[in-house]
Amino acid sequence: MISVYIHIPFCKSICTYCDFCKVLYQKDWAVQYLKSLNQEITDRYMGEEVRTIYIGGGTPSSLSLKEIEYLLLLTNIFNKEYLEEFTFECNIEDINEELLLLLKKFNVNRLSIGIESFDEENLLLMKRKYHTFKDIEEKINLCRKLEFNNINLDLIYALPGEKMQLLKQDIKYLLKLNPEHISTYSLMIEDNTFLSYQKINSIDEDIDAKMYEYITKKLTNNNYNHYEVSNFSKKGYESKHNLVYWNNQEYYGFGCGASGYIGGIRYNNTRSLTSYIKGNLNSSEEIISKQNNMEYELILGLRKLEGINIDEFNQKFNVHIEDVFPIKPLLKNKDLILKKNMLSINPKKIYIMNEILLKLV
Amino acid sequence: MQNKNIRNFSIIAHIDHGKSTLADRILEITGAVSKREMKDQLLDSMDIERERGITIKLNTVKLNYTYNNITYTLNLIDTPGHVDFSYEVSRSLAACEGAVLVVDAAQGIEAQTLANLYLALNQNLKIIPVINKIDLPNADIPKVKKELIDVLGFKEEDIVLCSGKTGEGVKELLDKVVEYIPAPEVHDEKPTRALIYDSYFDSYKGVVLLIKVVDGVINVKDKIKMLVTNKVFEVTGLGVKTPKELNLNSLSSGEVGFLSGAIKDISSVHVGDTITVIGRETDIPLEGYALVKPMVYSGIYPIEANKYEALKEALNKLKLNDASLTFEPVTSEALGFGFHTGFLGLLHSEIITTRLEREFNLDIVVTSPTVVYETYLTDGSLVIVDNPSKMPPREKISMIKEPFIYTNIIAPSSCVGSIMELCQDKRGIYKNIEYINDTRVNIHYELPLSEVVYDFYDKLKSRTSGYASFDYDIIGYKESDLVKMDILLNGNKVDALSMIIYKDFAYNKGRSITKKLREVIPRQMFQVSIQASIGSKVIAREDISAMRKNVLAKCYGGDITRKRKLLEAQKEGKKRMKMIGKVEVPSEAFLKLLGSDDDE
Repeated sequence: MISVYIHIPFCKSICTYCDFCKVLYQKDWAVQYLKSLNQEITDRYMGEEVRTIYIGGGTPSSLSLKEIEYLLLLTNIFNKEYLEEFTFECNIEDINEELLLLLKKFNVNRLSIGIESFDEENLLLMKRKYHTFKDIEEKINLCRKLEFNNINLDLIYALPGEKMQLLKQDIKYLLKLNPEHISTYSLMIEDNTFLSYQKINSIDEDIDAKMYEYITKKLTNNNYNHYEVSNFSKKGYESKHNLVYWNNQEYYGFGCGASGYIGGIRYNNTRSLTSYIKGNLNSSEEIISKQNNMEYELILGLRKLEGINIDEFNQKFNVHIEDVFPIKPLLKNKDLILKKNMLSINPKKIYIMNEILLKLV
Repeated sequence: MQNKNIRNFSIIAHIDHGKSTLADRILEITGAVSKREMKDQLLDSMDIERERGITIKLNTVKLNYTYNNITYTLNLIDTPGHVDFSYEVSRSLAACEGAVLVVDAAQGIEAQTLANLYLALNQNLKIIPVINKIDLPNADIPKVKKELIDVLGFKEEDIVLCSGKTGEGVKELLDKVVEYIPAPEVHDEKPTRALIYDSYFDSYKGVVLLIKVVDGVINVKDKIKMLVTNKVFEVTGLGVKTPKELNLNSLSSGEVGFLSGAIKDISSVHVGDTITVIGRETDIPLEGYALVKPMVYSGIYPIEANKYEALKEALNKLKLNDASLTFEPVTSEALGFGFHTGFLGLLHSEIITTRLEREFNLDIVVTSPTVVYETYLTDGSLVIVDNPSKMPPREKISMIKEPFIYTNIIAPSSCVGSIMELCQDKRGIYKNIEYINDTRVNIHYELPLSEVVYDFYDKLKSRTSGYASFDYDIIGYKESDLVKMDILLNGNKVDALSMIIYKDFAYNKGRSITKKLREVIPRQMFQVSIQASIGSKVIAREDISAMRKNVLAKCYGGDITRKRKLLEAQKEGKKRMKMIGKVEVPSEAFLKLLGSDDDE
């Protein structure tokens, strides 16, 4: 069983914080791109049974309906007999009945919608389109009406100048929409983004941490399970696709700038759209050694609040984990917690988990 | 008997009075270098010398000059100008019979004009006073002449006017060198004695010695002996610099040149030692020259512990031609293994650290400079403290003495007020003011050396817009009310940051250091308290609150290698941290504290 990620790098407008592989939508590029994608999938895919598919971006919903249909047809290349989860990312303004019916026809069963904020000023800073809560609510209701019962909403917090009051308002609206899954990301000002060019500074670390605390508490109190650093879900609605990453399992990444992990090799496709369109993937590859692989298992697995199963770890790598990593001192000072056979980061320290990883790997 | 056709001389001057440019012109006029080969400031061979426009290391060139149809050999021995390097000046002068004293036609006499002149007079050298830069539009020749006559006692007819830039007067100067500076004494028949006045390491020849032969002769293949180290070598090469190297078969008394002997062991060479030749030997050493003791000490530590041996090797190589540099191994709890290093002054320390970084590619931490204290204990014994960590506990001390200097600060009279204010701030004791003429003064203070090694010179320059010049003599030790101030991180003393300080200044200094540390130490997983204390009394405190966030929130589309790279970058950063207890302190923290107090 394998997972598949497909990257669509097109957007109707470019968000100020985004450093991922993206370009403004252009019809002729999109057509070319889908052809190259077809080629890559045909060349790379080895016929495994596919358990999860995730179409992300960029903005997959920025494509025209015809292009989306072509894209979804491409997924028929995969063996979908045991497909459990099929996610499609979209922006709220692109949601309409036609699109939803098309997605439904191809068995998309999970929608991931980038709300990011309900506040007009916040959205302006991110250069994202503002919609009234009422508009958003209507779109979500439409999804519900067409029986999409697994919806993720994205939220970005800790924007420069953001006040706690604003975050509370955003969370209130979010809860009102009652999604099955919520991803919250604190704004990172990455190099080569509009925000970094504007020399905008990140919000104070203490405020950021307080906001994270608030989010965690509020969502947990509303029956969302905090199962990964930035992810919350109702029971049974954890993202199966994203868990593949965190469980250090293998997956295909197709498209410009996409990453994959197949046959013990992690690869990254070119981020240049012109190369990709010409069929030149220019993948960089890294063969993962056993040591590296054990490190990945920890770096990724410990993002989950439940942590990693050390019996499974020991069996998978034929080692004793405490011989490989200095677990004991970290258990002693409560950086790590061991409950039965599950090794996890102390939830009070999850927001500084990099410090702990640095001591571990 | 005299070696009639040789003249050994130096040019001495205050910094920026045009010494190197004048030397360039002399090289050109004597044909030592053609115009085509000329690059500015030929004798300043180190990059750092050209960059800073100063001379640190001495160089020697042999020139031919014809005067009244007789060809003379002129050995020009270059000297540094800065106050820190008076030691190097005295080394150069030990190989000379005369000196050319250069004074800027616009600036007049400055502090190092005086200092260098006194060094030359101490060696009984003949002095030729020269007013340089006479081509400058603001040159004031009558005024500078008057200073030379009134302040330094020269005769008007002896003063040479010239311009190193245009070449005007340079020939007249060379004539004067031949006429006025005596030829070296020649004692070829005597047992051989030669003074080592400098040395350097050459990767092909080994240690190369710069020598002045005083008595007798040295030939290639002679067996030579060093009188101090008792080491014996066979001479494999002799020669002079013109400034290109010219190999010779022998050097005889009165001559200066270089000597190589396949000397691989750096420690067998002591600058200032006397060489004799086996077979024509003597055991009476030449009078060396005043050996200067280091006045300022700092700890030098490699940032990466495994570079300790490389640092040792580099310091040994630098010491070869800088006898004033001293060092001994030291261990710091905070910084690991390093060297307690003695310097002549702050500039000297800067030059050495820059050379370690550039020429030897070493990443180093240099701790705050300290002077040498005399600590008298209640039982009457004396402890010499050249490192704050060696300071005995307070209750055992009856008195601490520190070195004081006597200043020559030459400045426009309009700056007197601000200079006096600066000296008062630095615990100065006013002595008197001498008037050089109606617009310039020489201000004399007694100041603790410890106050001068920090930032005195920088402050003096900024308060006088660069018009003041500064030099000093060490006058001895005086009692001061001094305390040892420690810096603690979460209760752990940081030995490398301890300092000895005037009691009344401790409070402010403690506050400024704790504040700076708070800025440079990153947040940790726990709260960190930074304290400054005297004994058990805490005089300043700052806190760094615990780290709240270090996590990569977003994992874009399964791009996991990127996440790992970020983690690896953080890990690299940790490698450059020094551990104080459990607190990680970036090496940069120690560097930043060395700088001057910017809170003033």
